[in-house]
Amino acid sequence: MIVRRLALLAVVAPLLVGCGGKHDATATKHLSVVVNAPFSSTPYLGQAIENGTRLAAAQVNTIGIRVGEEHYSLTVRTMDTGLSPARAVANVRRAVSDGAIAIVDEGTGVDASWRIAARRGVPICIVFAGGHSLVNAATRPNVFRIAPTDHGVAFRLAEYLIPKHLKVALLHDDSDYGTAGAKELRRAFVGDPGSVAIDETLPADALDLSPQILRARRAHATALLVWGRPATIASAITAARSAGWDVPVYTPPTGADPFVRQQLADHPKWVDGLTFAAGRLTAEVGAQPFTGFTARYVAAYGVDRVGVHTAAGAAVTEPPETPMYAYDFVNLLAAALTKAGSTDPAKVTKALEEVTVEGANGDERAFNHSSHEGVVDDDVYFARFHDMTYTPVKDDPLSATLPTIPQTTQ
Amino acid sequence: MIRIVAATAAALACAATAHAAERIALPSPIAPLSAQPPLAGGARTSAENVAHSISAATRVAVAIDEAGTPFAVTATQRLDVRGLGDYFFTIGAPVLAVRAPAESESVPGMRTGSIIWAGFNPGERVLVARATLEPAKAVTALPLRIRVSGDTITLENATGITVGAFTADAPRAPLVAYLARLRGEVAHGRTPLQTSVPLASVPANVRLTVAARLHVTGTIGRKRIDVQLAKRTQIHGRGRLDLRVEPVEQVDEVTVTSGRALLREAIRATLSLARSNQYEEFLGNPDPAGSSRTVYVYRTASPPHAAPIATIGRHHRTWVETALVVAALAAALVAGVALWARS
Repeated sequence: MIVRRLALLAVVAPLLVGCGGKHDATATKHLSVVVNAPFSSTPYLGQAIENGTRLAAAQVNTIGIRVGEEHYSLTVRTMDTGLSPARAVANVRRAVSDGAIAIVDEGTGVDASWRIAARRGVPICIVFAGGHSLVNAATRPNVFRIAPTDHGVAFRLAEYLIPKHLKVALLHDDSDYGTAGAKELRRAFVGDPGSVAIDETLPADALDLSPQILRARRAHATALLVWGRPATIASAITAARSAGWDVPVYTPPTGADPFVRQQLADHPKWVDGLTFAAGRLTAEVGAQPFTGFTARYVAAYGVDRVGVHTAAGAAVTEPPETPMYAYDFVNLLAAALTKAGSTDPAKVTKALEEVTVEGANGDERAFNHSSHEGVVDDDVYFARFHDMTYTPVKDDPLSATLPTIPQTTQ
Repeated sequence: MIRIVAATAAALACAATAHAAERIALPSPIAPLSAQPPLAGGARTSAENVAHSISAATRVAVAIDEAGTPFAVTATQRLDVRGLGDYFFTIGAPVLAVRAPAESESVPGMRTGSIIWAGFNPGERVLVARATLEPAKAVTALPLRIRVSGDTITLENATGITVGAFTADAPRAPLVAYLARLRGEVAHGRTPLQTSVPLASVPANVRLTVAARLHVTGTIGRKRIDVQLAKRTQIHGRGRLDLRVEPVEQVDEVTVTSGRALLREAIRATLSLARSNQYEEFLGNPDPAGSSRTVYVYRTASPPHAAPIATIGRHHRTWVETALVVAALAAALVAGVALWARS
């Protein structure tokens, strides 16, 4: 009797399981994108990366991502690095074990975290740090970057400054960012050492840089190239201007950081003439794509106010540059998921090398097998401040073609 | 391929109705007659609204073995780009690896089936890519086949193709004028133009085999070679081959008398030019109006051999050695026990 019942159960049970397991092909599944950024230590940067990621994910989710017979949407999860490499690595470990499809990263700790992500083929896209060694398509196949590289910025600065026959003081702070930049600057100026008046290290936390600026002046420098954190740049300008030295100042993208203008808000004239190198915000097609992106960004998150005003009293706003890079990566990720026809992170990583999307600035955004850089060196332009806002310079072939982005609001 | 079939069908359709219209379009002297070359769909540009003027020069290095069979193909393409603005070029090619020689002002990227160029051109920029190609895919688009058998080397023009054309009676004068114009355009390096000519009878469809004429120079051993290769030739010699092959764009003087024969020669001339033009573009040029030149260099080389699998030497004892080892161990054991018993 028992044997007969067991035999009956053996026949019926699979049928019941089959009935209960009816597959709902229309149900949307979720794929997690993790934002690994310094939310607590530099909230503006962390928020910018998160906002760009969320904006793109929301747009992708309006139609969803079709992979084979399944529909997917993207969910965004944030993890705070506090600018600590150890925390950044721990975050990546957790993200990978939780099944993240990709990580959008500020760059801290990537030297260690990429290996953890690589074990499951999870792509990491850096959208801020420009260190040369962070990205290498051959040795770090799962690491990508959409942000200007230190190498590109340094070489473009050299290309721009050397023909001006200036005696440049190369000043860099002793932060990781400053040290990496100094290395690239030395490489960039090695072909014309005569144009370098002095190569000086600045303490990143010093409030007064007067001695170092005085040394640069005594070395007969006719221009300062300051590569460091925003606070270092503000301190260097303060030291030069308060000594009555009206020397032109050039910087990497950190020169445009709102912090510099906030620090110098009491002396707006000191900001005038500050020239920085950064990734272009517009393409040949004009400002329309970036303006459209900005409008969508502002509608979702409001304007990013710098905290200073023009002489006419208009509040100065910050164009969403860093959000643009995160936004573009998420769109590339969606294209790669479709191309791969799979949610296997390793296959998606390979597919990222094969897809191109139109970036938020209207430019082509893409990686390839031999380069995982989404911003090519040629796309570095120069802009100069006047009245707390900046305009592309006219004495550089690329910059001269670029329009001015609106930077004020009432 | 679809475009080629459509163009052929359109040409034949024109031919069928031409007598009523009394004029017929001759084939284009620049339209490709087959899917490749250029390799992998050619080149394209997708940089917003900027049109760059580009001259392309490509050197294809073909390594052949002792029998004349290609085993490695490398293409070095130089693009002289003029015009201010962004560029994003995709050059189709079955590429295995790509790098930039020192003269290049930018670094190429690589994707499956293409070389990628992206950046900003300040006015003039030289882009040079050296690409290692998949031999199996690249070899089918090479213009010359070589067979070495003993001291006989056969050089065969591999550009021949049979296409649809037409025949009809036609007035001589317009054809003579067109051929003269075509000859002048080619001689002065200008892009030859397509034309239409009047007919004097209903056209009939025919099949025509045409090829790009090849100028082959170089050496076989110590023997110097300089031949114009229309189909095939045999050369006696021994030694390593070092041959340079260039497609020739040329329109010969025509001596035929009848209008029908002249029409046939005009069609043949335009199709041959089209074929030569095709082989001038082994890798595509992103500027459809830009000039392209390709030189093919065939050299005898040693194909890479797979490294012999290292054999790890394993020492096998003979039974005699084994017995001696056992005996030595037993003696040592006995000696040890005896020593221990006396201690």
